[in-house]
Amino acid sequence: MNTEALLSYVSSTPLTWLILTISAYKVGVFVYEKMGKNALFQPMIIALLLILPVVIYAKIPFQTYFQSLHFLHFFLGPATVALALPLYKNITYIKAYFVPITITLFVGGLFAILSAVGILYLFGASQATMLSMTTKSITTPIGIIVAQDIGAIVSLSIGFIAITGLLGVLFGNVVFKWLNIKSDAAKGFSLGLVAHALGTSSAVEISENAAAFAALAMGLSGVFTAILLPIAVHFL
Amino acid sequence: MLKGILTLLVFQFIGECLAKLFMLKVPGAIIGMVFLLLFLILRKKSFHALDTSVFWLLRYLPLFILPSAVGIMTQFDTIANEALAILCSLVVGTFISLCFSAKLMDILISKKEQCHEH
Repeated sequence: MNTEALLSYVSSTPLTWLILTISAYKVGVFVYEKMGKNALFQPMIIALLLILPVVIYAKIPFQTYFQSLHFLHFFLGPATVALALPLYKNITYIKAYFVPITITLFVGGLFAILSAVGILYLFGASQATMLSMTTKSITTPIGIIVAQDIGAIVSLSIGFIAITGLLGVLFGNVVFKWLNIKSDAAKGFSLGLVAHALGTSSAVEISENAAAFAALAMGLSGVFTAILLPIAVHFL
Repeated sequence: MLKGILTLLVFQFIGECLAKLFMLKVPGAIIGMVFLLLFLILRKKSFHALDTSVFWLLRYLPLFILPSAVGIMTQFDTIANEALAILCSLVVGTFISLCFSAKLMDILISKKEQCHEH
C-alpha cells in the first residue's frame, strides 16, 4: 500500500474539490429547505461554512482549489447572458412607469453605491475594500464579472453582495411600513435595486406585481452598473 | 437544451469579441446579455430550449459562485482589520438606500397617478 501516492493524488485531483463543493452545496440546499427556506440559511453560505474549514485545514492554497473548479467558474459568463431572459419577460412593465423607473434606477442606484462607499471612507477603510463595496447591490454573477474588471477583491465583493441581500430582506417590510410605502411597484423595485436576487425572492411574498418590478430592477441595475462602473472607476 | 446553451455561448462570445475589438470597458458577458435581450425583443418571444437552459443555469448559480466565494479565506485579515467599517457600511448603507429608493419611487408614482386623474 502506498498511502503517500494516495494522499498526493487525493489532494491534487479536481475530483476531490468537485465532490466536496457539490456535496457541501447539496447539504446547504437540504438545510435551507429544512429551515423553511429562511433567507438566513442560504445554501451558498452553509456550503461555504462547510468547505472553508476543509480547505484551510488541508493547507490547500486558494489558487489550487480555484483552478480545480475553474470550469464551474466558467459558467458565470453564460449565466450572466442568461439573465437577459427574466429581464425580457418583465420589460413590458417599464412602459407603465417609465419616468419613475428611470429616475429611481439611476438616482437610487447611485445612492446605494455612494452611501456604502461614503461610510467606508468616513471610517478610513482601505481603497481595496471601498472598490469591492461598489458592486454590493448588483446580482452576484454580474457582480463577480464587474469586480474582476475593476480590480476589486472578488471574494470580498461576493461577501458584501450576499450580506446586502440578506439585510435587504430583513429591512424590507420594516422600511415599507415605517415610510408608509403604498405602491407595490415601488416596494418591489427598491428591493430588486438594493438587494438584487434575494430582494427579488422576498418581493415574491409581497405580490406578483412587486416580484415583476423587483426582477426588472435587478436586471436593469445589473446592466447599467456593469456598463457605467468600469468607466467611472477608469476615470478616478 | 443544447440549442439554448449554444445560444448563450454564442452571445457571450460575440460580446467578448466586441469588447476586445473596440477595447470597451464593459465586460463582454454584459454586452452579450444586452444583445440577447435585443434579440428577444426583436423576435418577440423566447424558445423552449433557451427557457430550459436558462432555468438550469440560474438554478445552479450558487455552484458557479462558490469557487470564487471560497477566496474569502485569503481575506480574513482585511475583514478583521476593517470589521466595524464594513459592518456599518453594509447595515446603514443598505437601510438608507432601501428607504431612499422606496420613498423616491413611491412619490414619483403617486405624482404620476395624480397627473392622470386631472
